[in-house]
Amino acid sequence: MNNLTIKASKYTPAIELNAETNTLTISGKSYPENTFDFYAPVITWLQEYFSSDTVEKTTLNMDIIYFNSSSSKLFFDLFDLLEEAQDGGKEITVNWYYDEENESAEEAGEDFKEDFEEMDFNIIKK
Amino acid sequence: MGNDDKLIASLEAFLNNDVETLKGNIEKLIKDYSRKSRRLDKIIHQSDKQQRELLELNEELERTYAELDEYKNHLEEKVEEGISEIKGLNVEIEETQKEVVFTMGAIGESRSKETGNHVKRVAEYSKILALACGMDEDEAEMLKQASPMHDIGKIAIPDAILNKPGRFDEDEFEHMKRHAELGYEMLRHSPRTLLKAAATVAYEHHEKWAGGGYPRNIQGEDIHIYGRITAVADVFDALGSDRCYKKAWDDEKIFALFKEERGKQFDPKLIDLFFENLNAILDVREKYRDLFTETPLNG
Repeated sequence: MNNLTIKASKYTPAIELNAETNTLTISGKSYPENTFDFYAPVITWLQEYFSSDTVEKTTLNMDIIYFNSSSSKLFFDLFDLLEEAQDGGKEITVNWYYDEENESAEEAGEDFKEDFEEMDFNIIKK
Repeated sequence: MGNDDKLIASLEAFLNNDVETLKGNIEKLIKDYSRKSRRLDKIIHQSDKQQRELLELNEELERTYAELDEYKNHLEEKVEEGISEIKGLNVEIEETQKEVVFTMGAIGESRSKETGNHVKRVAEYSKILALACGMDEDEAEMLKQASPMHDIGKIAIPDAILNKPGRFDEDEFEHMKRHAELGYEMLRHSPRTLLKAAATVAYEHHEKWAGGGYPRNIQGEDIHIYGRITAVADVFDALGSDRCYKKAWDDEKIFALFKEERGKQFDPKLIDLFFENLNAILDVREKYRDLFTETPLNG
């Protein structure tokens, strides 16, 4: 399947979904004008990606500086998708990166980790 | 399985009286509901936290802007202060320079018992002629400042010769003539434009348009315009003043000499310009006329 690349803008993160390396990366700020429209291609891509039998260990790297509340809601949905995939037998790792000075990014990582206690969810200081 | 599906399954179980399934589904729904509810709390909490952080950043930014603004205002003040100080210093330097130049000229004059006003008048006449022959204001002003030094070389001439009443003998005159070259030697080593001009004036103010002047006996436009102008200015003033060896000439006699010497001693163009600007020249003479002929410096 094709990889999905979305370049960063002033209000949206850079996204790189790579089916060959099985690495998913989302980095930057997340304040899209319409969050669900913005992330729709990501969700679609992931659904297709996880529907494939060949997929094995997948790593999602998230390095989000600031994000709005609808992005937060969407990240929960995203992790739900990953959790479902894991329940379906896929091996998943999530790395949540934060800057030492960015307390809210660190706390948000903790929030997500707490909600997905069955997942390999790492909070990593940059 | 989505919530809608779970609800439908629960309804079916209820209708089929399948208590176990119903119980299981309802438990799942409750669990799901509380997870979603916790998420909502988290999202709200995250949002609040970010808003507070952004607010803090914004406040910090405002403080920084205020500081920057104050600094800027302060800086403008400092710059203005600095500029006015520099302007003051510049005026001071210029005034000092003018004073030094006049004093130097006056020293030369005082040795020969001429008055300090002589150098002032020569300065003003020179500027009038400089402007008349097309020099710009800056250059004319520079010549005005340089021309008073034309006789600076006289400080190296012995008093006995300098202040001798009556005519010089040949030896004495030869000695006296050396003041032009001596003045040039004193001034020519300076890199300053003003002093270079003064050196030229000292060197060439006794040269004659048609030749026969000293120290080099050059002629025409080989004599620098500064020298030619100062020659006219100096002679006009010297003839009109009492000196130790002669009485002042009256104007008619001076004008007759100027007409006679037009193209001989003096640059003919400058003589024409002299007469064209005679009113301005006579105004200067009136303004700086000698009150005390025996004043030692510029009194």
